[in-house]
Amino acid sequence: MEHSGTDHRIQWSVKGKLISRRSWLLAGLAIPLSRAWAEPRLEVSFDGDSVHVATPGLHFLTGSALKRLENADTVVFLSQITLFSDNFATPIRRPVQERLVVSYAIWERRFAVAIPGGPAPRVEGLTDTQAEDWCIRNLAVNALGLAPDRRFWLKFELRTAPRKDTPALINDSGISVLKVIDILSRRPRPDEPSWTLTTGPLRLSDLPRTVREKRTF
Amino acid sequence: MRYAWLACLFLGGLLSAGTQDSEFNVNTRYMVETVLVSGDGWSTDVVADQDAKLSSGLRKDIAALVGQKLNPSALDELAKRLRKELHARTVEHHVLRGKSPDYVQVMFEVKLRPTEFDLSVPKFLYASKSGWSGAIEGTATIKHNGFTLGLVSDGDDLAERYAGMVARYENNHLGTDRARFRFQFESYHQQWNRNTVDRAPYAETSGAYRTRQNFEPEVTLTLARPLTLSVGASFERFQEPLPAAHTEAANALISTLRFHRRLEASDFQHDLDAGYSLRAATKLLSSDFVYGRHRWEFRYMLTHGKTVVIDNLTGGLISGRAPLYDRFYLGNSTTLRGWNRFDLDPVGGNRMVHNSVEYRYGVFQVFYDSGAVWDRNETAMVKHSVGLGLRQGNFWLAIAFPVKDGRADPIFMVGMNSY
Repeated sequence: MEHSGTDHRIQWSVKGKLISRRSWLLAGLAIPLSRAWAEPRLEVSFDGDSVHVATPGLHFLTGSALKRLENADTVVFLSQITLFSDNFATPIRRPVQERLVVSYAIWERRFAVAIPGGPAPRVEGLTDTQAEDWCIRNLAVNALGLAPDRRFWLKFELRTAPRKDTPALINDSGISVLKVIDILSRRPRPDEPSWTLTTGPLRLSDLPRTVREKRTF
Repeated sequence: MRYAWLACLFLGGLLSAGTQDSEFNVNTRYMVETVLVSGDGWSTDVVADQDAKLSSGLRKDIAALVGQKLNPSALDELAKRLRKELHARTVEHHVLRGKSPDYVQVMFEVKLRPTEFDLSVPKFLYASKSGWSGAIEGTATIKHNGFTLGLVSDGDDLAERYAGMVARYENNHLGTDRARFRFQFESYHQQWNRNTVDRAPYAETSGAYRTRQNFEPEVTLTLARPLTLSVGASFERFQEPLPAAHTEAANALISTLRFHRRLEASDFQHDLDAGYSLRAATKLLSSDFVYGRHRWEFRYMLTHGKTVVIDNLTGGLISGRAPLYDRFYLGNSTTLRGWNRFDLDPVGGNRMVHNSVEYRYGVFQVFYDSGAVWDRNETAMVKHSVGLGLRQGNFWLAIAFPVKDGRADPIFMVGMNSY
């Protein structure tokens, strides 16, 4: 019965009749909520040299980090990608960590993002989704030496760095690298939102091939 | 030399930190329009206001943000300094859009601790003639209310050595930040110098007393930012042992007008303090003594790097017959240093004028005091003294010489917080 009822309504809309106000209201609520409730997924691709990740549904420019950004603060997110063999038992190689430095122009209401030491220059004028997308798209782990048919597992971690550590993290020196490792190795506090996504088993030969691109937006 | 290198490294580190943040934070392109510091019920514009809550150094550093590009890491550092200086629980900074495009307003929001306990030593002194003097106070602060309990033994200020306790309630926000209320209770036992006991009582003052209590409610109003007016009453009673033990009262209306102004020009800082206080004991308040006590004070301090020059001028006049504790005395740790007040005038006077000039360079200081204390219908005899000493923070030590014919008998003094 339910199925036929739904069909009936679709038929009504196709016929160009008015959709009820309640439906509009529900749709209006459902669209933003669906974005918020969407379960983050981890998608992996290969460009011939490096393994790239994509995290549809993962929104990290929210909550306390967003409040700090709206207050003209610099917020650093720390990412780590680790490749494992044997169902996350043994890391294949050293994890790759990056610092994602985000700020928010309070007059233009747009985000600026950068990866210190990365090949891409700082990018400005982005919306929240564009900024998140830029950050994740510019993360990669070198797959050199990994056999195309070897099975591996991938873990992606993202964490908001504590505010007090920001100066040390954006400083381009050996101290910042040690700081990144130090922060990622300890348990996150409640005011340091963190996300962990995993996927596997994967094979390089099975991964969708992407064009090797310059790491810019 | 080693410290110079360390300082260079430290400053270099700060500069590089600033550069890193400006490289990544897009807001560093904006100019700072205003800086506000606000707390629980108060707020100050650091450029326009001369708020006494903040030290001059910190206020200067915060004001220096205005007209410069925004530096978020500098805000963190200033918030830390504010927290330390104001003993605050937290200091958060907010950056808001300014009135003009590409300008921002910076606001430091201070949240004070709801309850705080402080132990302080308002006075600690040893003088070779008068011995030890000291006061210790404990203050519990709950929001705007301060409850203080203290112990005192002071043989420096007056003709008497008074020892006892002080209890005080203060409310520094009486509906508005411009009104404060204070109620103080003091209870002391006295010890007297033989010279004073032999001279008092006489026509101008009371006799020596054994105990003294004072109840003093007072309201302080900020009339215009550097000008404050305090009004209140003092209900003071004391017990004279002779001829038969009896209690006398000196109940008075009290008022004080104070002015403080700090002027900063290039490397020079000028501090001006002026005050006038009146204590009017009247029969209307069932006082046994009827008198008016006027006191004027003017203080000027010039600071230029390590060099400080101070001039302090005070004058006083009493009309009527005032008890011993309300008379004027010279020859202690702040006036006519080097003179023993019991040699000058063991019962003080109802007229007084004093000037002190002090020069400080770093920790070294030299001073020259001159003044006179006398009773009406007497001739004023001006005395002089000179001295030198060392001062570091609140600690000081000095040796002072009276300028007189014959043998100069110096007085050695060491103290904390007392002048």
